[in-house]
Amino acid sequence: MQNTATAAPSRGMMPQLGRWLRGERLTTLNLFVTFVIICIIFASQAQFFLTLENFVNIGRTLGVVGIVSIGMTLVLITGGVDISVGSVAALSSVVASILWLQADVPLFLATVIGLLACTFVGFLNGYLIAVVRINPLITTLASFSIVRGLAFVLSNGQTNQLNDEAFKFLGRGEIAGFPVSLLLMIALYILFFFIMHFTQFGRNLYAIGGSPDASRLAGIAVRRHLLIVYTLSGFLAGLAGIIIASQLASSAPRAATGLEFTVIAAVVLGGTSLSGGKGSLIGTLVGVFILRVLDNGLVQTRVSSFYQDVVSGAVLLLAVGFDQLRLRLTSTFGGKS
Amino acid sequence: MKFSRKLSLVFALVVMLLVPLFPMVKAQDCPTAQDEYVIGFANLTEDIVFTQLVREGILAAAEEAGNVEIVLADNRLDGATALANSDNFIAQGVDGVIHFQTDEAFGNVIMSRFRREGIPVIAIDIPMPGATFFGADNYNAGRLAGEALGEWVNENWDGEANAMLVLELPQSGPIPAARMQGMEEGFQETVETPVADDMIFRLDSKNTQEESFQVVSDTLPTIPDAEKIVAITINDGTALGVIAAAEAAGRAEQIMVVGQGADPSGQEAIVAENSRYLGATGYFPELYGFQIIPAMIDLLECRAVAPAIYVNHVFINQENVCELYAEAWPDFCAE
Repeated sequence: MQNTATAAPSRGMMPQLGRWLRGERLTTLNLFVTFVIICIIFASQAQFFLTLENFVNIGRTLGVVGIVSIGMTLVLITGGVDISVGSVAALSSVVASILWLQADVPLFLATVIGLLACTFVGFLNGYLIAVVRINPLITTLASFSIVRGLAFVLSNGQTNQLNDEAFKFLGRGEIAGFPVSLLLMIALYILFFFIMHFTQFGRNLYAIGGSPDASRLAGIAVRRHLLIVYTLSGFLAGLAGIIIASQLASSAPRAATGLEFTVIAAVVLGGTSLSGGKGSLIGTLVGVFILRVLDNGLVQTRVSSFYQDVVSGAVLLLAVGFDQLRLRLTSTFGGKS
Repeated sequence: MKFSRKLSLVFALVVMLLVPLFPMVKAQDCPTAQDEYVIGFANLTEDIVFTQLVREGILAAAEEAGNVEIVLADNRLDGATALANSDNFIAQGVDGVIHFQTDEAFGNVIMSRFRREGIPVIAIDIPMPGATFFGADNYNAGRLAGEALGEWVNENWDGEANAMLVLELPQSGPIPAARMQGMEEGFQETVETPVADDMIFRLDSKNTQEESFQVVSDTLPTIPDAEKIVAITINDGTALGVIAAAEAAGRAEQIMVVGQGADPSGQEAIVAENSRYLGATGYFPELYGFQIIPAMIDLLECRAVAPAIYVNHVFINQENVCELYAEAWPDFCAE
């Protein structure tokens, strides 16, 4: 499950221990155990935590962060970062609402155009990073500001209601008792898991994150891959924005403020390295679940919102710190990470 | 002696006649009084509809006054920017300043500069030491909404609600807290059976519709038996998030919401069919200017002005929205 850019053979007892500690599935397993422990704690403290209604609620409110996290995982694996995802998410619903309410464009078509606008922003990010070679942090920080400003300009700062039953189905509807947005998120995880682990494109992304220069020398079209990855990130952020608008039945230029930090936290919690070349979508998915369940459980146990932020930050630090400790032990016992 | 008594009487009469004229003489001598005025207005931000309406109202009121020119600036929700704008106003030689700035910590520094220059200041919504305050009467604005919700519960739910959701903004200090306190006390004192303390859920809305949606989504599963739920919210966006969460959970019929603001998005929810948004206390930002500009002219012409001027709040619901905003909702108001 956990891919790394480098791997090395080792022999003997200690290296075996090292390999086990490095264990490609261990990060995800650790995370899953953490998730289960959190669930047990909340189940013992909150009477209605382990109810079907609460699980459906968690599922319904998971999709936005989950979907954007897919794009962010890919971007981080290549050694980049995309700070603009929150602004891009706001843009998609603003564009759709303006076209629908002011230009009488059918809502479905308006939504598609909104998604295309976000995809184009992602493409521009990719172009500036891969071709013009501007630092990813600087590029996406700039687009973060430009796109948010654009959303305000287009909407004149106003919140617009989107009262269309078909549109609301995406964010609020259920199929066989499962929230539609959750099913969509799971489908996307399966698709991207396949891409990352069973296609040359996915393997190349790990190689690019491990060493862009070596990848270039090995004949990988680094620019093209980066262009695709940032374009995908823009598209997925736009899709998340549409889900937010569908859930709230409204579009607001201020929507998804701070989304980028939640998403990066989930992805890093899931074991993806900020320096690139390492990460997994399964880990990201568990990271998304952990953060969402934490929020849910803390609200249900009536913990003050100030402490909620403290707890979420502490869990992130503990999980990542524990993983770093494990990697150090790996080196000590002869493994290689 | 007789003559001196007469003289004293004449003197006293002259003094009595002249005393009422003193204020007029003082007004004519008022050092800041002029025929034309240049007034600086630094808005809180230009990114929010509320503050855009404040700016438009001030410009309209200045035009109506006929002798006022407005110099605009944007404080961008930032104290340091507000300070820089203050220096610019002084450099431009404005006669008075209307400041809408968020950072209380910068109030002293900003006001010391204007005091040094003898420039009168009106502060909107966030007080500054030495400035005339203009803004919301937060506690009473909250009470209006709370009382309206209490009356609705008395009429429609036999005077009893099972749970209360309080969508607050704890990190933003005393102003939103006063609104929430007013709403909660207004409701609890009006409703026949107040909601028990353990059924009051205080949730941090973080001032966004999404956060409000999420925390209410997380709370509703903990009150599966509650069929009469009331929600008091810090603003329209937060109220819309509560309603969206209840709708998504299939429990819209079990909730009734009030809020603060009554901005266009709030009004749209109020006039909606089968609306669960009972109403919101109006702040009328578009009318701020029509109270502020005359007050500023009074200050400049050395007439007495109250140290705090409050907005006249009204609770806006389906019954009176057409009296105030008929043009905005022609279909609803035509019915």
